[in-house]
Formats: sequence, structure tokens, C-alpha cells
Amino acid sequence: MTRARSLVWLLVTSAATMAAFWILLHQISAVWLDVALHPEVRAALERSLDDQKQLRALDPAQRENYRARFNETRRLLNRMEVIRLNREAMLRRFELALLGVFAIALLAAAVVTWRRHRRMQDASRREFLERVAALQETARRHAHEIKGPLTAARLELDRLGELARSGGDVAEAQESVAQELTRLARFTTEFSQFGGLGEPVLRRESLAALLDEFCATFANAWNGVTLRVTEPSHASVCADRDMIRQVLINLCTNAARAGAQSIAFTIGRNTVDVRDDGGGIAESLRARIFDPYVTTRKIGEGMGLGLSISRKILLDHGGDLVLAETSPSGTVFRLIFRELTC
Amino acid sequence: MVRRCCALLLLLVPALAFAQPRPPAVALQNGALTATLPLEVLNDSAVRKQLGSGLTTTFLIIAREGKALSAARLEVRYDLWDEVWLVRRIEFDRRGDVQRVTSREALEAWWRGPVRLIARAPRSRLQIELTVLPFSAAEEEDARQWIAKSGGVGTANSGSLVDALIGTTISAKPIVSYRWDVEVPAR
Repeated sequence: MTRARSLVWLLVTSAATMAAFWILLHQISAVWLDVALHPEVRAALERSLDDQKQLRALDPAQRENYRARFNETRRLLNRMEVIRLNREAMLRRFELALLGVFAIALLAAAVVTWRRHRRMQDASRREFLERVAALQETARRHAHEIKGPLTAARLELDRLGELARSGGDVAEAQESVAQELTRLARFTTEFSQFGGLGEPVLRRESLAALLDEFCATFANAWNGVTLRVTEPSHASVCADRDMIRQVLINLCTNAARAGAQSIAFTIGRNTVDVRDDGGGIAESLRARIFDPYVTTRKIGEGMGLGLSISRKILLDHGGDLVLAETSPSGTVFRLIFRELTC
Repeated sequence: MVRRCCALLLLLVPALAFAQPRPPAVALQNGALTATLPLEVLNDSAVRKQLGSGLTTTFLIIAREGKALSAARLEVRYDLWDEVWLVRRIEFDRRGDVQRVTSREALEAWWRGPVRLIARAPRSRLQIELTVLPFSAAEEEDARQWIAKSGGVGTANSGSLVDALIGTTISAKPIVSYRWDVEVPAR
């Protein structure tokens, strides 16, 4: 019903616009044509003919010149007469042609609008489906993360009960339950981080010092991955040291999981490039890499919140975190700090 | 009495409105059929007005006998400089004559001259159509070119759409046209 009404409305407005255009066009065309064919113009030209004829009598020596001018004027009058005789047909034909062009333009605009509308509808549907699919994936991950430790703890508790009844050694089972509870705690910590990110406490920090300390502290954090600062610099930025460290940890963890052997930090004026020699990021993921819950890991191996948290931290600093480049031979993330006074 | 007059007027008015000149006089001359157009055509008010316009008034005569067609043409132009009539007769075989006539009387005398219309004598009846056009094909073309140039589109790179628009718009619409069924005289 709504579509039918829209169509009727479109037709009525198009018809009204075309009618208005027609009237306007008729007025304009008629004015110009009538100016060209104005009786006063014709009368003046006819007087000019009479003048040439009189001049012929007064100055017979110039007779041929007067005749040439006479013929010229007469030809002009003839043309005007031909146009006058075709006035209505000309007006009608030109109006129809212009109206046709206008109608085609109107139709083209309608088609373009309709197609854009359809595209937007399709995009909206696709976006909705993607959102639902992402939520389904998230729910699956959540369920798996919680269900795994719970099931294991439950089994261990059963075993603990049997051991208690038989007088066996309960220490091992206790340790196992504790481990499962730790896994649950780690899972909730990730969410706490995501949900509970506070405002950064900004202090002027030397990027070189911050990165040197990070490299020293986390030198052995990721097996087989070497950390180094390639270009020492005196640049300093306003940053929350702990939060930036969290960002660097997230980036280095991802790089190590992508198979990187080396991670290099390059300091710019107010940037830090984190370059790894891992396998790069798949093209299909690049546009969504900073969205929450986007991950290549299997269910149970992480929630895909690390890059979201990292970018949020940099945005809270007034800067940004961007994917500068990525290829099968490595990836560069750029931390951009805004030049702030702190 | 008044009612009768009114009824008579009601009958006469349409008859007068749609009255057309008597048919052309046809005759056989050296095996060809000739037609002499009635003077009423030349004296028709619309035709008279057009004759003084300086354009070439063209009288196109078409004879039909079944599917067979034959045509002749008369052209009349008043030369405003010399104040004479330039008349031209083009017969079915494209032969004809050009004359300068100096008065209306002479023009009427020329008009009364027969026009060879068909090469052979038709069997019994034929249909004659007369169409009076306000200007000649040459004048039409001249005006068309002039408009095209005035609109800045008459050059080699002109828009063909506009040219086509002008070319198909300007045409000689008949001032008057008549159609007669004519009896062919016996040989």
C-alpha cells in the first residue's frame, strides 16, 4: 500500500514538474520567437526595401549596389516569413524535444534514486545479518569459554569427592580445579579490561625510555621473538605508561601468534611503528581488524578484543592506532599520539 | 418568412464555407491531357495575400488515375524590385517556361494558359489535386540553413540532433488545397 502510494506520489510530482516545465518552456520559446518575428522588425525591413527603391531613382549610378542591398533585405524578410509560417510547428517541436530530454533526465534520476535506495536496503540487510552472525559467534565463544572450565571443574569435584571418600590424595584434583578457575578468571579479566577502561592518566613520557623498558621487561615473554628499538629518538609524548604498555603487549601477542620472530619499534616525531615479520593479515579481515570479537583464533583461544582495546586506548589519548601496512612478510601497526600538553 | 430565411441561411452557410472553385478545365492537346486551373484559385484571399509576400507561391497539381500519378507545377513570385510577376510553369515532362508579367491582368492571362498534366489521355475520369504551398523548396532550404547558422549549429561540427530538429520542422504547409473529380473529354 505504501509502495503504491509512493509510486502515485512520484507520478503526480513528475507530471506536475513536467507540466510546469512545459509552461515555462512555452513562454520562453514563444517570447524569443516573437521577438525575432516582431511586426516592427518586419515593418522596418519593408521600409528599408522602399528606401532602396527610392534611392535607385535618386542615384541611378549606384543602382546595382542598391539592388544588392535590396535583395539581401528581401532574402531576410523571406526567411522571416518562412519562420513565421512555421512558428507553431517549430515551437511544438522544440518544446517536445526539450520536454523529452527533461523527461529522460527525470527518469534517469528516478532510476538512480531507486537503485541507490535498493543498494542501501541491501547494505542495511547485509549489515544486520553480519551483526547477528558476529553476535552468534560471540555467544558461541562465551559459552565455550565458560563451559570448558565449568565442565572440567565439575569432573574434578566428582573425583575430589571419590578421593575424599576413599582417603586418597586430593592435592592433584584441587590443583586441577584451581587451574580451571584461573582460566575462568582470565576470561573475565579480558572483559573487565574491555568494559572497565578508565581515562588515561597522562604524563610526559620519553618514547625511547618507555620502549627500552618494555623490551627489557618482556624480552622473554614470547618464545623465540626478539624485541628491539630500531631508531632511538628523543621524542616524548603525553601518555599513560601502563595503558601504552598494554597496547604493546596486545600487539606483540598477536605478532607472536602470527609466527613473528622479530618485532621492531621505530620511533617517529609522535608515532611508534610496531613492525613484525609474521604472516600478515588476511585481506578479508583488514577492514574489520579493530572491531570487537574479530579474530582468526579458534573458539576457546581468545575473544578478539585485544586490538579493539588497544585502539580505544590510543583514541582516548587523542591519537589513533592504524594498520600501516601488511603483507605475507610482515605487518606494521602505527601508534599515533596527539601532540598534547600534559 | 423570417424562419424560412433563417433555414435557407443555415443551409447556405456550410455550403459557402466549404465551397471550392469549379474544377479545372481539361482538354486533349497533341495526345496529352492539359488542365487549366480556375481563376478563383488565384483570386482566393489567402492565395492573393501570399502572392504579395515576395516568396514563391507554388501550385502543385497532381493527377491520379487509379494508382497512376502525374504532376505539374506553377510557381509565382512577385519581384518587389522590378515590380513584376516572375512566373514559371513546369509540366509533367519537366518542360516549361519562365515569364515576367507586368500586371495582374497579364498574370491572369498567363494563369488561363493550359498546363500539360498527363502524357496520354486517361480512359474516363481522373482525380486532380491542387495544393498551394507558401514557399518553394529552395526558400525552405535557405531558411533552414539560416536558422541553423543563427543558432550556431550550422557548422561542420553542428549537433545533428538540432539540425534534424530544424530540418524536419520547417516545411511548407499548404495554404489551401482542393480535390476535383474530372470527366475526361472524348478523343
